[in-house]
Amino acid sequence: MNDLIHLTPIDLLVATILVIAAGVVSLAMRLDIEKRLALSAVRTVVQLGLVGLILERVFALRRPILVLAILVVMIIFAGREASNRSTRVYRGMRWDSLLAMGATCLVVGAVVTQVVIGVQPWYDPQYVIPLLGMILGNSLNGVSLCLERLLEHLSARRHEVELRLVFGATRSEALRDPIRTAVRTGMIPVTNIMAAAGIVALPGMMTGQILAGAPPMQAVTYQIVIMFTLAAANAMGSMLIATAAARRLVAPDGRLKVDLLRADRW
Amino acid sequence: MTTLLRCGPLSAEDGEGRRLYRSVTVALEEGCLTVLEGPSGGGKSTLLRQVAGLASSENVTRELSGRRWVEKDLPGWRSGVTLLMQDAPIIPGSVLENLNFPYGLKSAGDRIFDAERADHMLHEVGLGTIAVERPASTLSGGERHRLAIVRALLWEAPVLLADEPLSGLDGPLASRCFNLLREHARRPGHAVLCVLHDPAMGRGADRRLRLETERLCAA
Repeated sequence: MNDLIHLTPIDLLVATILVIAAGVVSLAMRLDIEKRLALSAVRTVVQLGLVGLILERVFALRRPILVLAILVVMIIFAGREASNRSTRVYRGMRWDSLLAMGATCLVVGAVVTQVVIGVQPWYDPQYVIPLLGMILGNSLNGVSLCLERLLEHLSARRHEVELRLVFGATRSEALRDPIRTAVRTGMIPVTNIMAAAGIVALPGMMTGQILAGAPPMQAVTYQIVIMFTLAAANAMGSMLIATAAARRLVAPDGRLKVDLLRADRW
Repeated sequence: MTTLLRCGPLSAEDGEGRRLYRSVTVALEEGCLTVLEGPSGGGKSTLLRQVAGLASSENVTRELSGRRWVEKDLPGWRSGVTLLMQDAPIIPGSVLENLNFPYGLKSAGDRIFDAERADHMLHEVGLGTIAVERPASTLSGGERHRLAIVRALLWEAPVLLADEPLSGLDGPLASRCFNLLREHARRPGHAVLCVLHDPAMGRGADRRLRLETERLCAA
């Protein structure tokens, strides 16, 4: 860790040239994403800067109530973001995505921090916050993809579901295919990352640890734990959101309540 | 004649809040093909969906062969009162999978898919030359409608609700399919309620009902 090269504000400014270069490409090719790119770059600096300041304070204080408060805020924002990404909405969707993200984060996070890694004390912010942040960030992708696919299925392919219903299918029989397809879609990002890990790309956490001076095999061990954790989180989050959404949009007798589904947002 | 099915009172409005029908009760006689007529957009499809338990309805009494069915048993009701849907939807998979998927449902009970009879029925509706392994998504609109008719007839539900089952079929094929539906309806323990747009063909039915000015009456 002593070999760590410390970055200065000047280094960050030099890195900014790379984003500006991307903006120039956008202008030259008329991609029309330069404003979005600039806004995203500013958001990255502001959001990460604030997180850095907060984390430094939390790490210094090491109080469990602060760690828990940060986790609650992260879960609320993740739940909100997961539902915001969907192009279709239904009443109660925010609660469902909050439930899926919260339950996933708490269950999988508790297993990885308390059982697998054995963090001491249990709330040690140096481990708990980044690990749960990774779980939330990745399951957010899975949950939003899964939700989008399920709502698309129930909306655009409702006749397929009804075709099973007219022959007496129960709710769970009629929803088996839509839920299976949605959960599979939600799992695609993490399975892709796992398949490519180490061959096509070095995963972010492992790269970060190596850059920070950790022995490569130690970094690899952590990365494997994280990969398995993310797979479990994606699977659990996707299954929870698909089940919760399906139960809201399909009555126990199998009637589709797609009138609750809207293509626009309120 | 014995009343095989009784379902009502049913009321419905269209998407703009206009009343389609009020307190309508559908009663089907055993061994009878009943045709449902009425102006376009008058609620015929909605009525069939309500009877099948696919569209919402409140405080409805459902009776089939003298047995009363409550809301929570709607899956069981649907396996005996099967809707032949207007757009002849298919599930992803082969023609064969589209014919035999209902037999994997809990509602199938003792029903077993009869491949020989399915083959015979496919020939009857002019689909005998189509390989059953072929993806159903490659069928034309008319072929899908005939496949849906075969699937519904094979299922042997006591009551069949057919919503424009002859759409996209030309004269001789439409007649052949209509005759199959009528033969099915005239068997003991069966009945068919059918929405048709061809008045001439409708005259070949055993009974005609008309849904108009919010009421259901004999045509």
